[in-house]
Amino acid sequence: MGTKTLRPTIPCFLFGCADLCDRARVPFTTRASKKSLRSMKGLCLTLEPATVMEADVHKMSVPLENGSLAPVDRLRSERSDSPTPGLVEGTEPGAGQDSAMFVHAQSFEDLTAEGEQGQEQEEVQEEEEGESERAPEFGELGDSEETQEPEGKEEQEQEERENEKEEEDQSGSGRAKEEDVNSEAWRRHRKHVFVLSEAGKPIYSRYGTEEALSSTMGVMMALVSFVEAEKNIIRSIHADGYKVVFLRKSPLVLVGVSRCRQSERELTRELLYIYYQIISLLTLTQLNHIFQHKQNYDLRRLLAGSEHLTDNLLRLLDRDPGLLLSAVTCLPLASSSRDVISSSLQAAKAKSLVFSILLAGSRLVTLVRKKDQFLHHMDLHLLFNLVGSSSSFREGEGWTPICLPKFNMAGFFHAHISYLEPASELCLILVSTDREDFFNLSDCKRRFLERLRRRSSYQALQEAVQAPSYPVSQVGIPELRHFVYKSKSSGLYTSPEIPVPYKCEEEEERLMDLYQYLHSRMHHPTRPLRSIYHCAEKENLLAYVTSGFELYLCFSPLGTKALAVSAVNKLLKWIRKEEDRLFILNPQTY
Amino acid sequence: MSGHRVDAKVVMLGKESVGKTSLVERFVHHRFLVGPYQNTIGAAFVARQVQVGDKVVTLGIWDTAGSERYEAMSRIYYRGAKAAIVCYDLTDSSSFLRVKFWVKELQNCEEHCKIYLCGTKNDLVENDRSMRQVDYHDVQDFADEIKAQLFETSSKTGSNVDELFQKVAEDFNNTAFQIITGEKGVDLGQKKNDYFYSCCHH
Ligand SMILES: Nc1nc2c(ncn2[C@@H]2O[C@H](COP(=O)(O)OP(=O)(O)OP(=O)(O)O)[C@@H](O)[C@H]2O)c(=O)[nH]1
Ligand SMILES: [Mg+2]
Repeated sequence: MGTKTLRPTIPCFLFGCADLCDRARVPFTTRASKKSLRSMKGLCLTLEPATVMEADVHKMSVPLENGSLAPVDRLRSERSDSPTPGLVEGTEPGAGQDSAMFVHAQSFEDLTAEGEQGQEQEEVQEEEEGESERAPEFGELGDSEETQEPEGKEEQEQEERENEKEEEDQSGSGRAKEEDVNSEAWRRHRKHVFVLSEAGKPIYSRYGTEEALSSTMGVMMALVSFVEAEKNIIRSIHADGYKVVFLRKSPLVLVGVSRCRQSERELTRELLYIYYQIISLLTLTQLNHIFQHKQNYDLRRLLAGSEHLTDNLLRLLDRDPGLLLSAVTCLPLASSSRDVISSSLQAAKAKSLVFSILLAGSRLVTLVRKKDQFLHHMDLHLLFNLVGSSSSFREGEGWTPICLPKFNMAGFFHAHISYLEPASELCLILVSTDREDFFNLSDCKRRFLERLRRRSSYQALQEAVQAPSYPVSQVGIPELRHFVYKSKSSGLYTSPEIPVPYKCEEEEERLMDLYQYLHSRMHHPTRPLRSIYHCAEKENLLAYVTSGFELYLCFSPLGTKALAVSAVNKLLKWIRKEEDRLFILNPQTY
Repeated sequence: MSGHRVDAKVVMLGKESVGKTSLVERFVHHRFLVGPYQNTIGAAFVARQVQVGDKVVTLGIWDTAGSERYEAMSRIYYRGAKAAIVCYDLTDSSSFLRVKFWVKELQNCEEHCKIYLCGTKNDLVENDRSMRQVDYHDVQDFADEIKAQLFETSSKTGSNVDELFQKVAEDFNNTAFQIITGEKGVDLGQKKNDYFYSCCHH
């Protein structure tokens, strides 16, 4: 692993840092000491040693990831009535009674570990976060930290966000595709995502047309290959407040450029979602096949019409706590009603059926699965995204091939997708292994609906869909504005409706940004935390992770740390009391 | 809507955004949706009854996605179809090239499927003649050659849409009658449930 120089002939593709090339001329070694890298001022590269690449390739040949991680059975009686922090996993509020519905993922780390296992991660990065104070001992909460946001920083971010908003408004609805890629507005977007082939051909860009960006993408690929020539992998570039993250998933290369506070790791995870989105439309088998035959194939031909799915997924990644937490939220519903719906769905089975999923918008009503088959929440998010970003399924009964990449990257399932009523939010997805089975599944839906219509639970369900979710005031903690609670063993989360101070789009996104920031601090690869108390400009936040749950709370600025800590117990008690309604405690199988 | 009582399977084929979904929307829901274009994902199925003389024929319509992505999978949508409505955009000559592709495919794999060529977005052409990129007589000649019928429609105004599907239903009814009389002894009451159901079901 020798010394390499990035030649100045590589044009600068990083916006807002025209002097990058100058800096990049500084020679660096791949295993450079932190000192020598730091001396490169703003610029910072993260690289992986050569062995990683092989490990990555190897991983590809293991398509089946289901079934092996079934959770242990649990009994209701094991649950403690008054939860205490440090609960054992599986007894936390919201944990399923018998078995989970999802692939049992212990933690965020498990989920993102793909291709990272055993890797030596050389992350060299100047700490530039504003931490005024560190409190290693935070009550009885263990590894914890207290941070205070420096004034001004957030204000500036806020301003940038507003600018961006304005521009989006101007460009009208739909994709801002015709955007000039040389314009200031284009540079100012908070997060860019590019997908390209290994030949450097553009496949997708979040903003601007792919044609206009083909030379930019060519440079990106040049960078990737340049580093790979020495059997290294480029992971990220940090410069001038931007993070450029690379995800190499042969035959694709994904690049994210962000000026958010999210960690490199979270950005990589988002790119992984985009990668899976593409796989879900094509399967990895088909993708490999195409590029084996024609290296410079223009994949946009095959992805035509799917851009809005990727656009929408990126929006969800910015906004939906579920994608951040690797979890799914449920429609609040009396458990008696939910059980009736689940058993009606269970009764309407067919031989080829693997999963029956009933959605209310982006909330899960119930999920019935084949014994021993588990759905991965990432796959479920892709299904949410598919249904949520297209009105196509309102036209009639949809029948579409879909690959669930976390289940199996190699093949297609066939999904029967339809709404229960023409104008309803209730959407039924029946996932089948047999592409010829449409009429059988159509019949399953009919039987399910017939059965359901005869019961009062259908009425209850429709009312629940109409009603807003619950207000945070129900919890009875005055200073509490909002929270997100995830039960780790069930993979389900609950969250109240967005309260008034965050009702507008920018504020909601700012709150999500704060959660994202706390999330990346909690799950820091080398310095994970169990809790953080964070004073932001307009609110105080507490994040808290145990083996059983993950909790993010947002308090009014008047709240204190002591109050926040005591709120945790109170909130957990409330969730325990309401868990029947907020979670799916009795997941069913056929 | 149950898929069981379908008499004739009809498949909509053609390049993306030529207006297949709009055609079905107009025929089934008598409306034209404005707003950003939403590509079909996979395919959508709707059943709709058509009165033919004193009989009711239920058409089971498969509105397929035009994206090349689904091309390899298209067989599952057109297999066993009694009629294929192959669409092209009157204002886009490239869309007619796809018509030729689909016609060939149907001739090779589905010889009993009747072909209907449908030039869409006629309202645009009527407003501005210079918009037309596909000549009527050229297509008519092609249609004669392949023994297909030709319609020019507008889903926006509704012009010629019902006529198209009505013709599909009538033609089906006539051939179905021929088959039944030819095979004599087939119970008409039974046909819907077994014989014809099976054609959309293998
Ligand atoms: N003016 C006019 N526009 C039409 C007509 N039919 C369809 N369009 C427009 O053409 C665009 C595409 O229509 P769709 O019906 O969604 O096309 P499609 O063939 O179903 O496309 P795919 O599902 O991608 O294969 C939409 O923006 C429609 O509004 C028409 O008769 N007149
Ligand atoms: Mg369509």
